[in-house]
Amino acid sequence: MGKKVFIIDVGKCNGCYCCQVVCKDEHVGNDWTPIAKPQPEVGQFWLMLTERVRGNVPKVKVSYRPHLCMHCDDAPCMAACKVEDAIYKREDGLVIIDPLKCTGCKACVDVCPYDAIYFNEDLNLAQKCTGCAHLLDDGWSEPRCADACPTLALRLYDEDDEEAKALIAKAQVWKPELKDQVKPRVYYLNIPKRFIAGTLYDPVEEEVIIGAKATLKASDGTVLTTETDSYGDFWFEGIEPGVYDLELSYGGKSKSFAGLDTREVEINLGDIPLT
Amino acid sequence: MKAGLQLLAKGGNMGGNGETACGADKTVLKALGLSGGIYGAVPCAVDVRNGKILRIRPLHWDWKYDPTRFRPWRITKNGKTLEPLLKAAPSPWSLAYKKRAYSPNRIKYPLKRVDFDPNGAPGSVGPGGRNTQNRGKSKYVRISWDEATTIIANEIKRIHKEYGPLAILVQGDGHGECKMVHAPHGCSTLLLDKMGGFTQQVRNPDSWEGWYWGAKHVWGKGYIGMMAPNDNIVKDITEHSDMVVVWGGDPETTPWGFRGQFASRLLYFWNEIGIKQVYICPDLNYAAAIHADKWIPILPNTDAALQLAIIYMWITEDTYDKEYVATHTVGFDKIKAYVLGEEDGIPKTPKWAAEKCGVPVWTIKALARDWAKKTVTIGHYFGGGMARGPYSHEPARLEVVLLGMQGLGKPGVHQAQIAYTGMPKNVITGGADHMGPFANLQATPYGERLLKPHRGTPTAWGKQMIPKTMIEEAIKKGKVEFWGTGGHEEPTEDQYKKYTYPIPKEEGGTEIHMMWTDTPCRITCWNCGNDVAEAMRSPKIEFIVAQHPWLENDVLFADVILPTNTTLEVDDIMPCMRDGDSFQTLVRMRRAIEPIGESKSDYEAVCAVAEKLDMLEAVTDGFTNEQLIRAVFDGMQFDRLVSWEEFDEKDYFVIPYSEDWEKWPAGFYEFYKDPEGHPLPTPTGKLDFWSENLARTFANDEERPPIPKWIEKGITHDERLSSKRAKRYPLLVMSNHGRWRVHAQCDDIPWTKEALTGKVKGFDGYWYEPCWMHPEDAATRGIKNGDIVKVYNERGAVLCGALVWERIRPGVISIDHGARADFIIPGELDRGGAINTISPEGCTSRNAGGQATSGFLAQVEKVTMGQMEEWRQRYPEAFAREYDPGAGLCFNAWVIDKVS
Repeated sequence: MGKKVFIIDVGKCNGCYCCQVVCKDEHVGNDWTPIAKPQPEVGQFWLMLTERVRGNVPKVKVSYRPHLCMHCDDAPCMAACKVEDAIYKREDGLVIIDPLKCTGCKACVDVCPYDAIYFNEDLNLAQKCTGCAHLLDDGWSEPRCADACPTLALRLYDEDDEEAKALIAKAQVWKPELKDQVKPRVYYLNIPKRFIAGTLYDPVEEEVIIGAKATLKASDGTVLTTETDSYGDFWFEGIEPGVYDLELSYGGKSKSFAGLDTREVEINLGDIPLT
Repeated sequence: MKAGLQLLAKGGNMGGNGETACGADKTVLKALGLSGGIYGAVPCAVDVRNGKILRIRPLHWDWKYDPTRFRPWRITKNGKTLEPLLKAAPSPWSLAYKKRAYSPNRIKYPLKRVDFDPNGAPGSVGPGGRNTQNRGKSKYVRISWDEATTIIANEIKRIHKEYGPLAILVQGDGHGECKMVHAPHGCSTLLLDKMGGFTQQVRNPDSWEGWYWGAKHVWGKGYIGMMAPNDNIVKDITEHSDMVVVWGGDPETTPWGFRGQFASRLLYFWNEIGIKQVYICPDLNYAAAIHADKWIPILPNTDAALQLAIIYMWITEDTYDKEYVATHTVGFDKIKAYVLGEEDGIPKTPKWAAEKCGVPVWTIKALARDWAKKTVTIGHYFGGGMARGPYSHEPARLEVVLLGMQGLGKPGVHQAQIAYTGMPKNVITGGADHMGPFANLQATPYGERLLKPHRGTPTAWGKQMIPKTMIEEAIKKGKVEFWGTGGHEEPTEDQYKKYTYPIPKEEGGTEIHMMWTDTPCRITCWNCGNDVAEAMRSPKIEFIVAQHPWLENDVLFADVILPTNTTLEVDDIMPCMRDGDSFQTLVRMRRAIEPIGESKSDYEAVCAVAEKLDMLEAVTDGFTNEQLIRAVFDGMQFDRLVSWEEFDEKDYFVIPYSEDWEKWPAGFYEFYKDPEGHPLPTPTGKLDFWSENLARTFANDEERPPIPKWIEKGITHDERLSSKRAKRYPLLVMSNHGRWRVHAQCDDIPWTKEALTGKVKGFDGYWYEPCWMHPEDAATRGIKNGDIVKVYNERGAVLCGALVWERIRPGVISIDHGARADFIIPGELDRGGAINTISPEGCTSRNAGGQATSGFLAQVEKVTMGQMEEWRQRYPEAFAREYDPGAGLCFNAWVIDKVS
C-alpha cells in the first residue's frame, strides 16, 4: 500500500459542503471501531468546510477550503499522547486515534496546530478525520469526502503517483511555516492570496476609463502593472499580504493611494473618479 | 474516453463487482433529486445495515457496466475538454437524506385535530364543533388508520352529496421526491377523478414567472416560456460565446434539487476556457461568488431599467444587428420610440436607469458596449431576483428584445438555463422529444394509473381550476377570474382565455368546501402566506385532509393527517431522463428500509381511503406494484436498449449518448438562418417585440402593455423605493430558492443547516433563517452579525438571524424562501423565517397569474432579549413546542399524545 496524500484544489471547490456532510453521514451514528467511534450529531467537524469572503461590494469573491486532520508525518498529537499507540500512524500515512486506547486526556486536542482534533464529551474520546481508513481497508480508493466531491476538487492520491507528484510540486500546505516541523500530508492548490482592485471613471463624462495604467509598488520595491479593462476595472490578484502604494494614470491625469494594507484583508477601492 | 477512463480508475467505491459496500448487508439505488413528478434525477447508492440506513453515496455509473457502452460525449475548446463524470453529483441534502427519513418531525401515525369533530355541522364552533378557526393553532391526537380513513370517506360522501364533486380542492402538485409509482403528489386524483372530478389547484410557474407570462408573447410557447428549441446550446456556447451574462438566478444552487451539481463543472470549464462570466444580481449568489469575472449588484426587480438603458445605448450608438431586427422581429419601431422617449417624453438613458436600478451610469454604459462587441449568451437557472418579482414579465420580455437585437440564434447567442437544457442528446432524447417515452407509456393500459398523479404539476386538467397563486382569494371571495390557467405546458393562447371559478353551476361548478393536500407548503413557498393561513381557517372550508411524511407548514392547518413515507421506504422505479447530469438513467428503486411508524406511501394512503368508498379496484385498476414497475420499463420501451433481466439484476441502466448528437442545430440557429422557412410559433412567425394579441386582448392593461416597459407601480403592486410605503419599509427583499432546501423540502437536516449560510444560531439557542444584510444597513440599525432580527411590513413579520456581510448590496436584504414556519402569532409573526408569509398578495400583474415573491419592501430591526421575553410571556405555547435545534420542531411539538 502506497502512502496517501490529500490534494485539494480549492480553485475548484464550489462550497457545496458535500465533504463535510458525508463525513457526518459516515460517522454520526455509525461505529467503525477500531478506527473510530461515532461522531457527535452536530457541532464537530472531522472535515470542516471553511469560507472566506474577500473584498467588498462590488468586488467580492468567496473562497472555500476543506479543513481536516493533516495526517502529519511528525504529528504533534502523537508526540503529546501519553498512552502507547493510542495515536498511531498507519503504513499508508493516515494518523488514527485508537478509540479503544484513548483515555480522554485531551493532550492531543490542545497540541494540534491545526485545531483538527475534537473532544467527544459523551464518549470521553479525542476524535478526528481517519481518512475513512475503514473504507480504504475495505477496498475503497478514496474516503467519503472525495467520493462525494462533485468537481473532483478533493482527492486522495498515492504520493508516488506521477500525477500526484506533479500536483504536490505546485501545492502548498496549510500554515506553511509548520511544513518542515510537522510534515502535513494534506496539500492545497490555488489558495488565494490578496487582491487590490477598483474601478476608474471620468465623473464629467460619466464613463469608465478603459486602458488606464495601474502601477502597484510593494514595500520590498516589487512593481506590478496592469491596465483597466472594458469596465474600467483594475485587478491585482494573487498578491502577497503586505503594504502597497498604487498609482492610477490616464491621459495626463493621475491618482495615488499610499499605504494600502492587505496584510489582513483584500482592498476594493470602489469607483474612483479621475479628475 | 481517455480522461473518462482515468476517472474510472477512481470510481471503484462500490465495493467491487456486486459485493455490498463496507459494513452494509444490502445496497439499493434511489434517485434522490427532489424535482419530483416524472423527472427523476441524481441516482445514489443507499447502504443498509440491519434495516437501518448506513450511508448514502453517489452512484458510479460504471459500477456494473463498461462505460464505453455509454458513448460519453466530449466538448472541446482551446485544447481543453469537458466530459461527463463517471459518478453522479448529488447535492449535500441528497447525501444527507437519511436525516429526512429519520427526522424527528416524521408523522408517526394518523392524527386528528383535537378540537375537530367530524359530526359537527359546517361552521360549528365549541365542543362538538369543527372549529375551523383553530386551524394552525390547535394540537393533534392520535387516531387509527381505520378511523382516519372513515372520517375522510364520510366527508367525501357528504361533500359530494351537499355540493357536488368539484367542491373538493386537490392540492397535488409541485416538486417532491422522485417516485414514479408512489407519486408524492397527485395520487388523490386517481380516486377523485373516478368519482366525478375535483377542483384542481393549478401549479403556476414558481421559478420562471416572467418568461411564462412575458417571453411567451415574444417568442411563442417555447419550453414552459423559456427559449426553445434549445438543442446543443451547451456545445455552442462553449465554442462560440465570448461572454455569458448570468442574470438573476444561481446555477450553483438551483440545479441541486433538479439535476445535481453537473452545472458547476460546466461553469468551471467556461472559466477555464476564458468565457467571461458577468453576474447581474443583488446578492453575490453562490455562482457569482466563485465564477464571476464581474459582479454587477443591482437593486431587486429593477432589471427592466438596466435592460432599457442597454437598448438605449445600442440604439444611440448604432451597435445592434439592424438587419436581424428588420428580418426577424416585429415592433422594434415601438420599442425604439419608447426607449428614446418619443412615446412618454422620458428617454431611457443610463442616467435614468441608474437612479432606478442602483448601477452606476458608467457601468451601464460599459456593459452595453462590452456586450455589443462580444458574442453573448444570457444564462439563468430559474429563480433569482429577476424573474419572480412584481411585473416580472417585463424584464423577461426585454431580455428577448436584447437577444433579438444581437441576433438571437446566431452561434453563441442564446438564452440558456445552464445545463438544464441543451446538453448532448442520448439515444432516447435524440430524434424525439424527451416526452416521447412517456407518451408511449401513456398509451399502454398502465398509462393512466402511472401518469395521472404526475399530471397535476405540469398541466391544467381539472374540471374546475384555481391557480395556486389565487387559492386564498378564491376562498375569501368565493369567486375569481383569471386569464390563462398557468399550467406549464399550456400554449401562449391560453393566456388570452378568461377563466372563472367557480364554473357555471350547470357544469357542476361550486365553491370549494374541502381541501385534500399532499403539497402542504402553500404558506411558505408561494405568495402572501399569511393570507393563506387566514383563508384556510374559513368555516367555508369544512374539512381539510393532509397526507405528508412531515408535520410542518400547511399540515398544521389540516383536520385529519395521514402519515406518508419517503422514497427510502417504497419499492419503485424512476426514469431519470432529462438533461443536467452526466448521464441519464433508469433506476430500479428497491425499498431500503421499512416504513417509519404507521406510514404508508402516498399511493397506499389514497388506496386506504378508496377502500372505505368501495373504490379500491377503480384506483388500482387491479395492478400490483410489481406490474406497475415492470410497466414503466416496458411502456417506455427500455427493452429496446437492455433486457428486463439485465436491468432487474443490475438495478439501473445508463442510457447511451447518441452517436450523432452533434448534428442538432443549436438553439434558434435555423430561425436565425432562415426566419421564413423556420418561423417561430408566434402570430407573425417572428420575435414579436410588440404583441398584437396582448394589444387586442388587454387593450387597457398598463401593467403588461403590448411592448415591454418599465412599470414603476400599478394597480397590482406598489413595491418600489419610490413608493410612500418605502418610508416605513425602506429595504428591498431579495428572495431566491434556498441553497439548503428545495422550496420547503429539507429544512430539517441538521448537517446542511450547519453550513455558514445554513442557519444563524440566536442568543436563545434557536437556529434562525439567515437574513443577509450589508454592513452599512446593519450598522444604521444597530444590528450585528448573529443578531436575531425582525423582518416586517404591513403583511406581518418573520424572525431571522442577521448574516452581515459583503455578499449583498446596500439597501437590500436576502432571505431564501421555503423556511419551515413556526408561528408565534399564526398569520402574523413567524419565528421560522418563512419570508413568503409577508410577500405581496397580488400576482405578477393584473392579468398574469404568477407569484411575486422577490423584490418587495420591508424593514428590519433588531430583536432584543427584552422583546423576545415579552413574546415568550405573551405566547408561552409557541415557545414551549418540542424543538431540536438541528432538526427544528419535532412531531411532539404539535401532538398531545407524545411519543418518546
